[in-house]
Amino acid sequence: MHIPDGFLDPIWSITTYGVSAVYFMSILRGMKRTFTPERISLLTVLAAGIFAAQMLNWPLPGGTSLHFVGGALAGILLGPFYGSLALALVVTVQCLVFHDGGITALGANLLNMAIVDVLAGYAAYRAVTKVIGLSGRSRFIGGFLGGWLGITLAGIVCGIEIGLSPQFPYGIAITVPIMGSWHALLGVIEGLITGLVVSYVASKNPEIIFSDKVRT
Amino acid sequence: MKLPSKPMLITIILVIISPIFGVILADLVGYHEPLDVAAEKLGLQDISENINWTPFFDYTVPGLNPIVGYVISGFIGIAVIISIGYALSKITGERRH
Repeated sequence: MHIPDGFLDPIWSITTYGVSAVYFMSILRGMKRTFTPERISLLTVLAAGIFAAQMLNWPLPGGTSLHFVGGALAGILLGPFYGSLALALVVTVQCLVFHDGGITALGANLLNMAIVDVLAGYAAYRAVTKVIGLSGRSRFIGGFLGGWLGITLAGIVCGIEIGLSPQFPYGIAITVPIMGSWHALLGVIEGLITGLVVSYVASKNPEIIFSDKVRT
Repeated sequence: MKLPSKPMLITIILVIISPIFGVILADLVGYHEPLDVAAEKLGLQDISENINWTPFFDYTVPGLNPIVGYVISGFIGIAVIISIGYALSKITGERRH
């Protein structure tokens, strides 16, 4: 999921930097008043946990591999904006300290993992718990669908970014089906982990789950 | 800033076991994400090594074997994240006072 240097057309590199910069500047402006040491502490511990979880690469039969991304989990537990900040912290440290994800692709990697994955996961969880009602079952289903949808959409957007280039006029016809289908499949594991972690947190510290507090 | 101990313990355990998945199994089976499959089809070239700036490239530490380097890298990453979180928390706390 981490796009390295060399994969992105310069136009997409600049565009995705721009989109991510606008998103983070606007949410930071809105979040200033909500910053508390407690919320920062939760954000930090979740970011550290997601960073560690992303180091576990799971080889799968059929010649592909995956690692947990955690965007949906962060969105559900911390809310969309704090969730985005947690993933942004992870993705930026991975890029700058370990060159995992290219510097030319940092904007795109932030867009995919810290924005699309987080927002889609949060929205799916909210929709499920609103329709079914808040319960252990709905939290698991919401977490599962959030994790699956978040990673699948992030994969599709990533496919668009690397495929849509003046160099490859029909690139997205190749990259989007590959990225979309594989991530829809691998997303089942992301969904299961997300659903299980949300259920576990709900059983121990339900007050932590930001998405459950926002009831409209 | 007070970090909850149980999640931090889980994080440390994940880092300690991470080379099993990130180094040993990846070497045995080969690490190949869907992104690599898509990039191969278009003939895209990863140029990260040519423009690298960090001594910890791809979670390695110069002079250490890959397994130990992977674990040390994990702890470096977590230390950087916690330091940033600590700085943010301090700034936030001071502003509130």
